[in-house]
Amino acid sequence: MSTIATRTPTLTTSDMHSTTARSSWQLVKRGLINTRRLPSAFFPALAMPIFNMISFSGTFFALTKLPGFPTDRSVNWFMPLGLAMGSAFSGVGLGFSLIRDLENGFFDRLRMSPTSRISLIIGPVLATWIRVTLVAVMVFVAGTLLGARPTAGVMSYVCSWVAAIGISTIGAGWGLALAFRFQDMRGAAVMQLSIFLTMFLSTAQVPLNVMTGWLHTAARINPVTNIFRLARAGWVNANDADYLSWQNAYGGLIAIFVLSTLAFVFALRSLQKIDN
Amino acid sequence: MSKSPIVAENLVRHFGDVQAVKGINLEIKAGEVFGFLGPNGAGKSTAVRMLTTLLRPTSGSARVAGFDVVTEADQVRRNIGVALQDAAIDPLMTGAELLALQAVLYGIPASLLKQRSNELLERVGLTAAASRRVSTYSGGMRRRLDLALSLIHQPSVLFLDEPTTGLDPMSRLTLWEEVRRLNREGTTVMLTTQYLEEADQLADRIAIIDHGKIVREGKPADLKASVGAPTLIINTNTDQVEKANAVLSTFGDLRPGAEGALGVGLRGGAAQVTEVVRKLDEAGVRVQHLEINEPSLDDVFAEATGHRLEGADNAPSAGDNGDEQPQKKKRRGKK
Repeated sequence: MSTIATRTPTLTTSDMHSTTARSSWQLVKRGLINTRRLPSAFFPALAMPIFNMISFSGTFFALTKLPGFPTDRSVNWFMPLGLAMGSAFSGVGLGFSLIRDLENGFFDRLRMSPTSRISLIIGPVLATWIRVTLVAVMVFVAGTLLGARPTAGVMSYVCSWVAAIGISTIGAGWGLALAFRFQDMRGAAVMQLSIFLTMFLSTAQVPLNVMTGWLHTAARINPVTNIFRLARAGWVNANDADYLSWQNAYGGLIAIFVLSTLAFVFALRSLQKIDN
Repeated sequence: MSKSPIVAENLVRHFGDVQAVKGINLEIKAGEVFGFLGPNGAGKSTAVRMLTTLLRPTSGSARVAGFDVVTEADQVRRNIGVALQDAAIDPLMTGAELLALQAVLYGIPASLLKQRSNELLERVGLTAAASRRVSTYSGGMRRRLDLALSLIHQPSVLFLDEPTTGLDPMSRLTLWEEVRRLNREGTTVMLTTQYLEEADQLADRIAIIDHGKIVREGKPADLKASVGAPTLIINTNTDQVEKANAVLSTFGDLRPGAEGALGVGLRGGAAQVTEVVRKLDEAGVRVQHLEINEPSLDDVFAEATGHRLEGADNAPSAGDNGDEQPQKKKRRGKK
């Protein structure tokens, strides 16, 4: 250790202005640096939706022959599902990263700083949005190569992307909250199980009109069904010019807003309780 | 209200049924290096976590840098620097990136960020390694970076939780020197350690903590003087322990020795050793090993708690040589 010839002027607390935006952006940068330096951790979120899209659209091609199925292209149906799963995986993946930070003590360093607690959540969630956007681009490219065709132009992609961002935000909030509560890998199992159960008890695989019994009831009341309707709004019902309409989109937008807000509040409250 | 930078009053922390900290009272004065000495699990880290706003006290109160750790946690955080037990550093980032992150979280103006980071990197001798990922750093380098991170906002109070645990002797000496330098510059330092030598070397005052309670507090010299007599340590056959203790007790108070050893505080000083040996011989006690120790903090600890400081003998001496390996991965258990 050496002696310093010149020193920065002595800082006072009034010199230090930690803003939520500045701290959040720095945490976004950290998230992206980690993604770039540990691509293997990001790879599943990227590969899984493409793999699901390929396998589901091939395996369940016959679904398109069902009466009332809203498209004759199975890839148009399953591409938004693949993207939604990848987004959910990216979201809960944030919970896994947080568990790692909690276990190795890095999160203590963040908590000991005087920055706003909200920035400790917003920053990582924004980094997840960027990752999800990358996933979406890859899925759209792969889907197009496999024959997916939008029915409403650019808005088809926008709707799917908004739904993906929404699902990742819900997954991230939920994942962060559980990580704060459990503070170890026990939280990881609950994160995955709960998110994927919620997704599959919706119209993830088949439309509501071909479901029967308890599954139909569960899917009908599951708000994620509305998000899938938004995600697929520009990919199905090619012959119905009104399909991509506010009427088909608002339910998904409301579901995203309500569930994201609840998940975010749950995460923030769990963070505030972490020192108890 | 006290103006001391660290004041704790009857600080208590429970984890379920376990009482980790059982009513600690502390007053650390400005410019002091205060040592918190105790074995693993004594409650040192829990106390530090409460004082650094990471853990809410079950009861009692504490003020750090003049602010309440519960109701004014943000102001406390602005005024303290903390290096926790395991250097909590993201291994994927570089030293420079971590300093930039830390600086922004503490609201260091962008115009000063680069200069401050470079200054700290130079100070801890990591300028050349600044653009390397932390996963390639040795344990000593990580600790130095951890220290630099805790100093980014020029805190007036610095908490160091077992800063040299696991370090080789050279790295320990380097860190000790930096702590002394920071203290000379006016920083109040609270240091937890399980190493007697570290507490003895660095601390102006020491509190000995065991089972969540402070059992002794004072200047190292005063604490050692309070034990008084030097300790005679002997080893003998296990079947002769009773006989040996009977002889030893006639020369002073029996003191717990290290594993299998017997100890006595010699009332009459070191000059009595010859007499003790003669009496043991007369009693038919076969002495395998004998040594006399001037009072140490370990004696203070033993006298206060009835047992020796766990792990104290395992601490690498600053005079030893040791190799240090890069640490690829480290996990922290819950305290």
